[in-house]
Amino acid sequence: MKNARTGVVGCLTSSKFYTTLILLLVLFSIPLIIKNPVFLQLMILVFWYAYLTLSWNIVGGFAGQLSLGHAAFTGIGAYTSTVLFIQFGLSPWLGMLAGGTFAAIIAITIGYPCFRLRGAYFALSTIAFAEALKVLVENTREVFGIPIKGAQGLLVPLKGQSLINFQFLSKAHYYYVILIMMLVALFITYKITKSKLGYYLSAIRNDVDAARSLGINVSRCRLKAAILSAFLTAIGGTFYAQMLLFIDPAGIMGLYLSMEIVFIAIIGGRGTLMGPILGAFFMVPIAEFTRFYFGGQKVGVHFIIYGIALIAIMLFSPRGINDLIVRGYNLLFGEKGRKEGNFLGGKSYDSSRCSGNK
Amino acid sequence: MRLLVELAINGILMGSIYGLIALGLTLIFGIMKVINFAHGSFLMVGMFATYWMCTLTGLDPYVSLLIVVPFCFCLGYLVQNFLIKPVFKKEIKVREPIGVLLLTSGLWMFMDNTTLAIFGASYRTVKTPYAQVSYQLGDILLSAPQLYAFIGTIIATFCMYVFLRRTSLGKAIRATGQDRNTAELMGVNTYRIYNIAFGVGIALTGLAGGLLTPFFYIYPTVGFSFDIKAFIIVVLGGLGSIPGAILGGIIIGLIESVAAQFMTSTLTIVLAYVVFLLVLLFKPEGLFGFKGEW
Repeated sequence: MKNARTGVVGCLTSSKFYTTLILLLVLFSIPLIIKNPVFLQLMILVFWYAYLTLSWNIVGGFAGQLSLGHAAFTGIGAYTSTVLFIQFGLSPWLGMLAGGTFAAIIAITIGYPCFRLRGAYFALSTIAFAEALKVLVENTREVFGIPIKGAQGLLVPLKGQSLINFQFLSKAHYYYVILIMMLVALFITYKITKSKLGYYLSAIRNDVDAARSLGINVSRCRLKAAILSAFLTAIGGTFYAQMLLFIDPAGIMGLYLSMEIVFIAIIGGRGTLMGPILGAFFMVPIAEFTRFYFGGQKVGVHFIIYGIALIAIMLFSPRGINDLIVRGYNLLFGEKGRKEGNFLGGKSYDSSRCSGNK
Repeated sequence: MRLLVELAINGILMGSIYGLIALGLTLIFGIMKVINFAHGSFLMVGMFATYWMCTLTGLDPYVSLLIVVPFCFCLGYLVQNFLIKPVFKKEIKVREPIGVLLLTSGLWMFMDNTTLAIFGASYRTVKTPYAQVSYQLGDILLSAPQLYAFIGTIIATFCMYVFLRRTSLGKAIRATGQDRNTAELMGVNTYRIYNIAFGVGIALTGLAGGLLTPFFYIYPTVGFSFDIKAFIIVVLGGLGSIPGAILGGIIIGLIESVAAQFMTSTLTIVLAYVVFLLVLLFKPEGLFGFKGEW
């Protein structure tokens, strides 16, 4: 039962180590084999969305608090590191940590009162917060004399290829950075599911009042999740700024980014370890292809697909693609497992073992 | 002083439309206890439907309401029956269901962007002979279409009130909102009631869309700004309260038009968000405490 919460990975226990190893090898060798920048850019976006969704999943999935305003944190991260870079020439690697810390502080101040709100009320308050922040940034030309240029956006000054300045000429560098970031986020999520905090969060998600009566400090657990999530999300914002070398409020802290993150998480499987990655691998390429084919004039076309996919998932498999794959796996290999179990001692295959999380 | 009065009156007129949109949202919440995130998109559908009725057939926007409102009712009824009901049923035992919220947010993205893909992002207007007409009240000017919208809102709210209080269907709707299981025991087909309630909520939004068309731009993402305002209003007035929705709408309208005198008009929405967050944190039952009044 130890692996009950890890979804797909849990099913692969026997061959888990080798599967992971092979997958990692493949992922790390892709830029060595395929040099096509368009393909690498697509993979970077997939990893970036997977990273953001993994970060969101800590609060939105494991803590069960549906945040529809996570773009606020990517925005905070991107703006903090970029402003520090422009003003003081501070390396974005450090700016990243500053942005993450700043986002975490904001998450505490906003989260502390808002976590008292339930379900839909919480979701509404996160939208209101993120939109208010976006409109404020859009209408602010400078803060304490430091220009942030409102809706016009900020350009990250080009300083040529250098590791310190987080600026690379080839896509492969960005690819490795975001891949490692994603793996770290995955590892952190994995650690959470194995930790006391993970069990507390799971208890809170199932029944707040019961968890509280068992002596779990509900708001402290949720705050911990929110701090982690905000910190990681903000770092994702910095990566975006360094990759595109341009940020504007509508792009990096707009509602559409928040919604994309949530949609990917739901489609992949909210509150599961692999859900965010599966969701990103399914949805982002589709989104990018539609964006490519329909060109610039019809910006939102990929959202039609996101919308349909989300509606279909909610109707037919509310636990996301993760659950579909687990069920498919059980269908294919579960039969064998059941027979073996019966043969060995009448112990039937425990299908709940692989059923992922609610 | 005259300026302030004029602003206040304009705020009330615009706020009444916000109230009408929020009325649909609050009705759906009051009965089904779910939040319809696609509400603004249905408003957009109402506006586009009115627009096309007017441009294609040359009908007056107010006459075309006779078709747009029933159309919106049917749309809402079908969406509830085929999309929301299955998700709703799955979560009937869950304490804090958010499945419908997620589903409707998917619907929202789908509807807005499909419209965007089909009609493009351009702003459209309906040309009417009375668009520029205004009435003079003392030395205050009132724009005719806004005044008509205000009157329409009052009539619609009154009709809703009578419908919910006096008719047996209205009573069944209220009963379902109060206690689903008991209503079922009394022989109410609650899922049919949900369909009707959702349809009525969307019809009210369609009505608001139709009343907006003569004096507002029509574009695919028009719903979003109204959507957010409708949520704010509904929480201000207390989720599920009819007078709360209208009063909350007028408050937001007043804040918007009066505050626009003192700051950039785009920033007024930030003020509304702040009011919203404060109410949510300190008085989540709404400003007027009308909660659960059906």
